[in-house]
Amino acid sequence: MSGLFGTLSIALSSLSVSQQEMATTSNNVANANTTGYSREVPDVAAGDPIAEGSLSVGTGVVLQKIESLRDSILEIQLNQATQQQSQLNSSLAQLQQLQTQFASSTSGIGADISNFFNSLQQLSPDPSNLNLRQSVLTAASTLATDFNNTASNLQTQRSNLDLNVEQGVGQVNTLTAQIASVDAQISNLQNAHLDASSLVDTQTTLIRQLSGLIDVSVIPTNQGITLATANGTTLVSGSRSYALSTQLGSGNVQHIMAGSQDITASLTGGSLAGMVQIRDQEIPGIGTSLDELATGLATNLNAANAKGFDLENPSQPGGDIFSGTGAAATLKVTMTDPALIAASSDGTTGSNGNLINFANVAETALGNGKTPINSYASIVFQVGNDTSNTSSSADASSLILQQLQNQRGSISGVSLDEEAANLIQYQTAYQAAARVVSTVNSLLSDAVNLGLGAAVQ
Amino acid sequence: MRVNPNPMPDLLAALNQSKLATQQATLELSTDRSVNQPSDNPNNAALLVVNNDQATFNAGYLQSISAVQGQLSTADSTLSSVVAALQQATNLGIEAANGTMSDADRAAIAVELQGIQSQLVSLANSSYEGRFVFAGTMTDKAPFVADNAIPPNVTYVGNAVVNKVSIGSGYQLNVNLPGSQLFSEPGSDVFSAVNNLIQQVQTNGDIADAVTAVGTASSYLSAQRAFYGNALNQADSQTTYLNTAKLQLAQQQNTLGAADLAAAASDLTQSQLNTQATLATMSKMTQNDLFDYLK
Repeated sequence: MSGLFGTLSIALSSLSVSQQEMATTSNNVANANTTGYSREVPDVAAGDPIAEGSLSVGTGVVLQKIESLRDSILEIQLNQATQQQSQLNSSLAQLQQLQTQFASSTSGIGADISNFFNSLQQLSPDPSNLNLRQSVLTAASTLATDFNNTASNLQTQRSNLDLNVEQGVGQVNTLTAQIASVDAQISNLQNAHLDASSLVDTQTTLIRQLSGLIDVSVIPTNQGITLATANGTTLVSGSRSYALSTQLGSGNVQHIMAGSQDITASLTGGSLAGMVQIRDQEIPGIGTSLDELATGLATNLNAANAKGFDLENPSQPGGDIFSGTGAAATLKVTMTDPALIAASSDGTTGSNGNLINFANVAETALGNGKTPINSYASIVFQVGNDTSNTSSSADASSLILQQLQNQRGSISGVSLDEEAANLIQYQTAYQAAARVVSTVNSLLSDAVNLGLGAAVQ
Repeated sequence: MRVNPNPMPDLLAALNQSKLATQQATLELSTDRSVNQPSDNPNNAALLVVNNDQATFNAGYLQSISAVQGQLSTADSTLSSVVAALQQATNLGIEAANGTMSDADRAAIAVELQGIQSQLVSLANSSYEGRFVFAGTMTDKAPFVADNAIPPNVTYVGNAVVNKVSIGSGYQLNVNLPGSQLFSEPGSDVFSAVNNLIQQVQTNGDIADAVTAVGTASSYLSAQRAFYGNALNQADSQTTYLNTAKLQLAQQQNTLGAADLAAAASDLTQSQLNTQATLATMSKMTQNDLFDYLK
C-alpha cells in the first residue's frame, strides 16, 4: 500500500493516535488531584511495515495500550505504613484525651491526697475543733469525688471507644464489600482483555482506606486479589467478601469476630488495633492502678480511725470514714458527723494521739509497694510516658508514610508541566499530520486534474 | 529521578509542624510552664506531684507551728504570772513573819494570800481558744477545782497525757505539760504550799518554814517552765528550717516544670518564621507551571 493513499492512511493513523494521546493527557490533567489516581501514558509503536519489492515501508503509528504507572511493591509498603500510622494516631488521640485527667500537679487526685493529710495535720494542735474536723471530712469528700469522676471519665472514654470499634467494624465490612465488587468488575474487564486501570486505582484507594482501619495484606491470585489480616483471617477473596461482626464479650466490651473466631486481641495495625489497645489495655490498666490506690488508701484510713476514739462515743473504737472502698468509682465518704473522726487515742476530748496513725497512712506502702502519693505519681508517669512514646512513634511513622507517598507521587503522580509538554508535542504531531493530509489532498487534486489544465488552456 | 509533582502534602505537613511548635511555645509562654501535660515530660510530671505533696506538707507544718505557738506562749506567760504570784506570796509571808506584826496585820495578809490563792487557781485553769492548757488532754473542763473550805483545797481533775504535734517529717513536738506535773507535784505542790502559808500566817505558826516551801514550789515551777521555752525555741528553729525547705521546694518546682521563657520566645519566633516561609513557598508554588506560558 504505497503511493498517496498510503501516505494519507499513515497521516490518518497519526491524527487518530495524536487525538488519543491528547485524550490521555486531558484525562491526566483532569485527574491531577484525584486521590489514588495513577497517571497514564500512551504506549505507541510504529505500524507493521509492509514489503514493497526490496523495500520495507512503514504503515504509520499504532496505539498499543494506555498504561497506568504504579509500583505494586510501593503500594504494599504504603498499605503497611498507613496501618501503622492509623494505629498510632488513634492511640495517640485517645491517650491525649486520657492524660488531661492527670495533667495538674496542684489539683486532682494527687493534690487531694496531699490536702486530705494536711487537713489532719491541721487538726492535730486543736483536735476537738469541729471546724477543723469538718475540713477533714470536706477534704475526704473532695478526694472521693475526684476518684469517682476520674473513674467515670475513664469509663466514658472506654464506652465511646467501644462504640467506635463497632462503627470501625461496620466500615471494614462496607469497604471489603466494595473491594470485592470492584474486583469482580476488574476480572470481567480483564477477561474481555479490556483496560481496567481506573478500577485498579479505585480498588487500591479502597484498600488504602481499609488499611487505615485494619491490618490487611494483599495477595494477588489468579481469581483477583485476596485480602487477609495479619493473623490469617480472610476478608476478601476475589469477588467475595467476608464480613466481620462484633459480639459483647469479656470485659463487657464488643469483641471483633471473624465467624466464630475472636480476632480482637490479634489485630496489629490500623485504627481498630489502636482503639482496642487503649480500650482493652491502657484504660483498664490505669483503672486498676486507681482502684488499688483508692482501695488501699480508704481501707488504711478506716483502719486508722478504728484505732482511736471519737467525740461522740469515746468508749468505742471509731467507725468508718469511707464506704465503697472496693473501687475508685464507688468510693464515698460515709461519715457525716465531724465529731466521729477518731483523733483521740484514749477517749479524752483533747487527745490527738490517734492522728499519728492517720499520718502514718501517708507513709505506708500500699499493696503495690508504693506510698499513696507515689502510687498516684506513677500513674501520672505511666500515662505521660505512654502518650509521649506514642507521639514520637507517630511522628516517625508519619515521616515514613510521607516519604512513601512522595515516592508514589514521583511514579504515579500527574505533573502538569509534563502534561503541558506532552500536549505541545501531541498538538504539533497532530498539526503536522493534518498538514500531510492537506498536502496529499492537494497532490491528489493535482493528480486528478492532471492534463486537464493543458486541455483547458 | 522524577520529582513528586505534588509537593502540597509535604508543605501542609511542614505547616502543621511549625504551627504545632507555635502552639507549644505559646502555651509555655502563657502558662509559664514547660510541663503542661504529663507527656511533655513524664518523669518531671510525676516528680511535680511529689513536689506538690511535699510543699503541701511543708506549708501544713508551718501552719501547725503557728497554731501551737499560740498555745505554748499562753502557757508560758501564764506560768510566768504564777511565778510572780508566788513571789508576791513569799514577800507577804516574809512580811507576816516580822515580829512587829499584830494579829490584825497578819489577818489582813492572810486575806491577801487567799486572794493570791484564787488567782493561782484561776491561772492554773487558763485556756487558749476554749481549751484548758494545763488539763492534759481533758481540755474541755477546768482541771483545778477548789472546794468551799477556807482556805480551799484544790484538786486536779485533768489527766497526765501529753499531746504531740508533728512539725516536720518524723519530728513530733510535745505541746503541753499536764497540770498535775506543774502544780500538784508531791513536795512542790503550789496550792498546798500557799494554803499552808495562809494557815501559818493565820495561826502565827512556822511562817518561815511555809515561806521556804512556797519558794521551793516556785523554783520547781520555774524549772518546769523551761519546757515551754524549749518548745517555743524548737518551733522557731523548725520554722526557719521549713521556710528554707519551702524555698527549695519552690526552686525544685521551677526546675521541674517552669518554662524557659527566653527559649520559648525564641521557639515562637522560629516557628513563626517557619510558618511564613512555608506559606510563601505554597503561594509561589501554585503560580508556576508550563500551562501558564502556553498563551
